[in-house]
Amino acid sequence: MDCEYNTSVLKTGEGCDTRNGKPTSGRKRRRRRESKKERKKDEGRGSRNAQHAVDSGERTEKERQRKRRKDREEKAEHVQSLDKSKVNSRDFAAKNKKNLKNEKTRSKGRSKRELEEGEAKQPQRKGCAKAEENEQDTCERAGKRKGKKKKHRKKVETSSEQESSEDGDKEGEGEDEEVEEEEEEVEKEVRPETLTPEELEKLKEAVDDKKKLIQALRGKPWPMKKKHSTLRESQEFLEKYEGALGKGKGRKLYAYKVMMNKKWMKFKRDFENFTTACIPWEMKIKEIESHFGSSVASYFIFLRWMYGINMILFGLTFGLVMVPEALMGRPYGSMPRKTVPRAEETNAMDFAVLWDFGGYAQYSVLFYGYYNSQRAIGWLKFRMPLSYFLVGVGTVAYSYMVVIRKMARNANETGGGDENSFNFSWKTFTSWDYLIGNPETADNKFASITTSFKEAILEEQESRKDDNIHLTRFLRVLANFLVLCCLAGSGYLIYFVVRRSQKFALEGFENHTWWERNEVNMVMSLLGMFCPMLFDVISALENYHPRVALQWQLGRIFALFLGNLYTFIIALMDEINLKRKEEDVVQFNMTMWEASLHNNTADNSTAPPLFTHPADVPRGPCWETMVGQEFVRLIISDTMTTYITLLIGDFLRAVLVRFLNYCWCWDLEAGFPSYSEFDVSGNVLGLIFNQGMIWMGAFYAPCLPALNVLRLHVSMYLQCWAVMCCNVPQERVFKASGSNNFYMAMLLVILFLSTLPAIYTIVTIPPSFDCGPFSGKARMFDVIQETLESDFPAWISKVFSYAANPGLVLPFMLLMVLAIYYLQSTSKSYKEANVELKKKLQMQNEENKKKNKRAALKAAMELEEARKAPSSRTAEQHYNPSHQHRRHDMADSRAGSFSSDQGKNGDDQAPFTDCRRSKPVKASASSRGRHANQGATAGYPAGHPRQSEPSRLQRVASTQRR
Amino acid sequence: MSSFPPLCFHGCCASPPLFRMVSPAIALAFLPLLLTLLIRYRFYFVLFYRAVLLRVWRDCRTGLSREERCFQYVLTNATPGDPESILDGFDSWCTKKEFISHIGPKKGKILDRLLSEHSPLTVLELGAHCGYSTVRIARALPLGARLFSVEMDQKNAAIAEKVIRLAGFDEVELIVCPSDEVIPRLRADFDLEKLDFVFMDHWKKCYLPDLQMLEGSGLLGKGSMILADNVLFPGAPNFLRYIRRCGLYEWRVHRATLEYSKGIRDGMAELVYQGTK
Repeated sequence: MDCEYNTSVLKTGEGCDTRNGKPTSGRKRRRRRESKKERKKDEGRGSRNAQHAVDSGERTEKERQRKRRKDREEKAEHVQSLDKSKVNSRDFAAKNKKNLKNEKTRSKGRSKRELEEGEAKQPQRKGCAKAEENEQDTCERAGKRKGKKKKHRKKVETSSEQESSEDGDKEGEGEDEEVEEEEEEVEKEVRPETLTPEELEKLKEAVDDKKKLIQALRGKPWPMKKKHSTLRESQEFLEKYEGALGKGKGRKLYAYKVMMNKKWMKFKRDFENFTTACIPWEMKIKEIESHFGSSVASYFIFLRWMYGINMILFGLTFGLVMVPEALMGRPYGSMPRKTVPRAEETNAMDFAVLWDFGGYAQYSVLFYGYYNSQRAIGWLKFRMPLSYFLVGVGTVAYSYMVVIRKMARNANETGGGDENSFNFSWKTFTSWDYLIGNPETADNKFASITTSFKEAILEEQESRKDDNIHLTRFLRVLANFLVLCCLAGSGYLIYFVVRRSQKFALEGFENHTWWERNEVNMVMSLLGMFCPMLFDVISALENYHPRVALQWQLGRIFALFLGNLYTFIIALMDEINLKRKEEDVVQFNMTMWEASLHNNTADNSTAPPLFTHPADVPRGPCWETMVGQEFVRLIISDTMTTYITLLIGDFLRAVLVRFLNYCWCWDLEAGFPSYSEFDVSGNVLGLIFNQGMIWMGAFYAPCLPALNVLRLHVSMYLQCWAVMCCNVPQERVFKASGSNNFYMAMLLVILFLSTLPAIYTIVTIPPSFDCGPFSGKARMFDVIQETLESDFPAWISKVFSYAANPGLVLPFMLLMVLAIYYLQSTSKSYKEANVELKKKLQMQNEENKKKNKRAALKAAMELEEARKAPSSRTAEQHYNPSHQHRRHDMADSRAGSFSSDQGKNGDDQAPFTDCRRSKPVKASASSRGRHANQGATAGYPAGHPRQSEPSRLQRVASTQRR
Repeated sequence: MSSFPPLCFHGCCASPPLFRMVSPAIALAFLPLLLTLLIRYRFYFVLFYRAVLLRVWRDCRTGLSREERCFQYVLTNATPGDPESILDGFDSWCTKKEFISHIGPKKGKILDRLLSEHSPLTVLELGAHCGYSTVRIARALPLGARLFSVEMDQKNAAIAEKVIRLAGFDEVELIVCPSDEVIPRLRADFDLEKLDFVFMDHWKKCYLPDLQMLEGSGLLGKGSMILADNVLFPGAPNFLRYIRRCGLYEWRVHRATLEYSKGIRDGMAELVYQGTK
């Protein structure tokens, strides 16, 4: 029914247009039409209103009656046959307003006859139309049109279409085609006289009601139960009757579409669930997050990310280095470098030896020394040395890329608000961690928020007093001093141990116990484990916010680990030098040995060439394999320490605390040993340094990424389990939103620092003469040169040689520096622009707020006036002209400014305020109790004109019913 | 490194096997752990020293029990008839000399506040010890209120009696008997109808059975308040678990630190009986 009413109104508009004889098109025309419509309406308003006032009383009762009848009639309507001819309908049109709409939808340009029809319509309409509703109708549509104007410019005026497309919008984002289809539906739809418009109207009204209810449900002050039941009821209702909104054939199509839409939505939801389920360990991490807060979860997310990277590194080394060598390279025992030497053969399979990665493990694809320097292997002509080199470079390059990309992404995510200015409001509104799902953690969080408030208030007070600041400063300096002492001590201890182990090495390891042999690793692991605890204790002196404290802690542990690592590397360098000296000796001996062999064979040249078993051939010490072994051992011992700490420090402690508590004289759980907390900083740093070692050692031990993948996999499960089973949530649960990038920054630094020694060794130290893929070359990177020369056409190598010319490289580097500088400065300027824009937005917001307030005030005043006025009619008269005036303004502004933000805002605002203005009058005119709902609709943000649509429809419908 | 016995670097095996097995450097790596534990749990070590070592040492030297020494100090330092100064005497002895597990001044303030808010007429105190908390409660009670104080130990009860009389509270009834025997007889022996306030500060293991006994005896009415001290340290986990589960009480834990110690967290559980449902 509403549609009918609307069309008739619009018809008039059209009529005017045609009468003018200027069939303009598009926006301009529409605007003019509107304004004319307005004027017309105003003329007829007086008489209409009189009737209106009289009618309003009866109407409510009528409506109730209808509602009761509705369901019965519903069915009847369904049954009615809908396949009548168009001609019929057109004949009928003269009397039935409904058909006007059909006509209109069909063609805009069909002028004369329609015009007449429209004119004929006019007197009829008087009784049922209400001017103010009309106005509201238009104003709401104006808001909507902004969003839709491109889609169906011509059709905007036909309200039936609009309504249906509206539905489409709600359901499925209102595509163009859908609108088109709707139109067709309407066109096909033919209404026989038998169909009572009232039924349809009521049905629509009910459907709209329900829709509106669903929309507004969230804001209703009802108990959740009632909300649920209402929602379910109305959804059922919608499902049942929504199909009836379309008519005839269209109805089926419409119902089908609605159904498909729902199915599609459901599918999308399911698909989303599925994708979430596909993310590895997502549920686990979520669970942990809900128990321990996001800072602990951030560690696990980081771990998962690391796992992903290591998977790729593993794929590269495994697929391009280890597998080809194992499959296509020469088999074990064919060469000296691929054979266990005779002296070690007896115990090469012992577990102790294998555990130390000696024996057969050493002479396998796991280590650098096994690889042959043969240029191409197998039937694929796989360039093994080149591949080895490129994979080594590629892993590092890939890691750099990933880390930097991740950092950049994280940097985007940080909002960049200043954190110091609104301390208390931040605390009030943002301190809750919404991911917490565990009552105990929630308790902790609650307590921590309260304490943080107390502390913040105290701090605020103290900052005004500022006599205690000296103490704090002193304590902080003291803490740092202590930490430095600790660092120095640990550094000295490692230095001492390394020196001692060198002494042992000179004496020969065989004379010493396992403890002494593994002293370096043990001490490093133990220090790496215990020193952070000490730092943690010391940092209690400083009294920082936990997030800041975490960063300090991370920094300190970082320094410690770095010191340890570099001590280790320096020791390793010494060892490399030793080995190289040894190698020289061996090389000299080799020549002697070969010469002697040669002499022997030369003596009796008839005899077959003497065959020596590869195990007997003397060989160099192969420092690369040694380095690889050291790193692998370090990783293994590190992993072991981590797991053992986990089992003893967390699990055993938890078990003891739990079960000894039954027979202990104090409460072990709440008091002294208690359960352990999850140490985020230590774990993160352990992970980072572990990764650094992988990066450092992967070149010399291709098995390292594989080992690391294994380790990460195990620790994911083990730590998840340990956290859930033996740790308690931190006392001060805090959000870790800021720390992620800190991890990344550290990872980047570690990456850089760990590639340094690797690159240094690759570039400066010549490879061993008798092991590894680069044996026989002066430098490892000569493999590139070689490939360029032999595998590529000559001109490429020429190009490369030119490109490597310093005269070309230097300008290129200069250019790069310039580019970096340029990019940096532009990014800076963008940042500034961003800040400016933010400011502008804020200002605009404030202005809008003011505007809204003003409008609301005005509306309130008018409401007052309307109430005071003896009759609604006078109020209306008093207020209408100004309203019309506003409409003009609005239309103009819309025409002028579509692209600018400001214009849009104005556009949004105008209908918004208009609606509110028209409301009071209507409320006073008809006491139907519906205005409350309408108020709610009008209260939606101005940017969503769509939401105000149902109210419009409804109101129009109600008018029509009279 | 000098602190460790010199190690045989050259394979000589004269030193004991332990030192041969673990090198000094590895042992030294445990130093940070030791330091950490020492610093982290320093309050517990201090408490252990003051409450156990010092006590045993003084017991042997003076031949008096801890409570007697405490009473002597109070007697010499406090004004008779003035509960305030007696409490101060206790506090200063406990902070300066030795340690006795009283309720202490800080938690005492919570107790005072609760008492003044509710102004109970019948109060039961379980565990009078030296009478510190008895004096504290009696001081805050309105006129005409009755206070029953239960103490198991004879010697302690004697001292408590003296302290109470010293403070000038004659109406306090001191019952020398284990709490689990007293509670069932309370109604008959002292014709009590209802307990308005119960203060628990005796054996932590007895909190739960005594609470259940109180429930069973029917002495608790709606609005009766029970205050249990030291629920976190030394702690009464079963008691807390019970009140969390049973749903008979409206409860909260006042968090504070252990008496006369800064770093050990403790709490008092405040329960308000809601009646059976």
